[in-house]
Amino acid sequence: MNKQQSYNLTLKIRRFDPDSKRSWIQDYHVEAGRILRFVDLFRKINDEQDPNLAWSSSCEHGQCGSCSVKVNGKPLLACELLVENAVQYFKTITFQIEPLNVAPVVRDLVVDISTAYERIDQIKPYIIHPAPPPTENNEYPITPHELERYVNATRCINCFCCSSACISSHKTFLGPNAMLATIIRVMDPREQEKDQRLKILYSENGIYRCHSSRACSFVCPKEIDVAHFIAVAKEGRITEQE
Amino acid sequence: MPAVGFYARTRGWSFVIAWMHRISGIILIFYVLIHIYTLSFLITPEVFDAKMKMFGFFLFIFLEWLLAAPVIFHALNGGRLILYEIFGTRNEGTLLQWMFSLSVVYVLLQALMMIMGNQTVSPILFWLVVFIFSACVLILVASRIWRIEGDLVWKLQRITGAFLLIMIPAHLMFMHLQPAIGHQANVVIARMQNIFIKFVDLILVISVLLHAGYGLISISKDYFKYRFVQNGLSLLIVLIMVVFGWIGIKIIIISYS
Repeated sequence: MNKQQSYNLTLKIRRFDPDSKRSWIQDYHVEAGRILRFVDLFRKINDEQDPNLAWSSSCEHGQCGSCSVKVNGKPLLACELLVENAVQYFKTITFQIEPLNVAPVVRDLVVDISTAYERIDQIKPYIIHPAPPPTENNEYPITPHELERYVNATRCINCFCCSSACISSHKTFLGPNAMLATIIRVMDPREQEKDQRLKILYSENGIYRCHSSRACSFVCPKEIDVAHFIAVAKEGRITEQE
Repeated sequence: MPAVGFYARTRGWSFVIAWMHRISGIILIFYVLIHIYTLSFLITPEVFDAKMKMFGFFLFIFLEWLLAAPVIFHALNGGRLILYEIFGTRNEGTLLQWMFSLSVVYVLLQALMMIMGNQTVSPILFWLVVFIFSACVLILVASRIWRIEGDLVWKLQRITGAFLLIMIPAHLMFMHLQPAIGHQANVVIARMQNIFIKFVDLILVISVLLHAGYGLISISKDYFKYRFVQNGLSLLIVLIMVVFGWIGIKIIIISYS
């Protein structure tokens, strides 16, 4: 089957000017090869049409989570979305592109990621009280069996796509990724401070805001079944030693 | 419908079903409050019969039949969520197929019952069987959920949900076995004289209002950031549930004892 080599795309990008506080949709017509990514399209717009369009990215390899945007309403990583895949998935060559609604917009597609991260910071995404290493060479071995329970959750890159998609809105819920970060540390045998984490997890802003709509799992670019881990916490199985 | 397609494509079908659960829950809350209000007219049977005459029109009968859809959907999807969250069941596809198939069967069966309208059953036997099954489901869920760390009210929401899973669809079905069962004051009053029926109705009203109240509070907490707004709304919801709970209890216990 012959694949189309290029597409004449229309990108309807949500713009925001922080000085005038004005927001509008701007159309860009871009001719793009089928394996270009959406970050490449933004760069092409910057180079050829509008150097003022602001967007963010860092690694552009699906590892840093800084290029998250909503394309036709779906939160995803712009660096992972190929033109061809987008055309096939959305069955259109017109794409509405918006910033994620997890934090205030700084400019155009750039959101204030530090505000979004405040929710992650609340759950202390690090080992608070490390268990002393059981071996002399200062290592804490984790068996593959232990790791298997939560290794998938460790792939989270905090791109906030799950938070953006979540049914529980963004007013009080700390977010699926924050819950995941807590659950990992509760399951991690190196962490001794479990009580503090469980207190946050079972708080009003914790898992009780989750309604198991599973949108987090659906949109996760790292294909983590986020809802599964939250359900395991609801089931009370995260503190079990297997 | 385009909105359904949009959200199914961008958030997944589970997201759409979660919204349907939320909307059906709100519809049912409104219905329950209207239902309790209507039943409060049982104190004067003549007024109750006159009110019920109004509900005898085709439009109301049709709306009552339509109610079977949110009832069975909310019950079965609630059961699916309990299985997902409490029992670790992850084969969602199979559960959804069962859920939608059983919903269609129930709605059609309800239509059949309403069209025939000539079924007879002993209320005591019917409610004894339904109550035993519901109590078994309740005990199964409660024994599992009780040991989990966490909020008592959240647990009660799941436990009452498990209890209502069979009770509510059975209640709706029972009411339409014959038009007189739910629409004639003397038939309703005669049934409510029985101590066991009183007990079942009492548990039903309390469970429904507790489940509904927590559901509304939970939704409100998703949308209102400030604690004082959340607390104010929670208080209002609790007040409404207490008032309607009192009306319900008064009808069941006080009025016909």
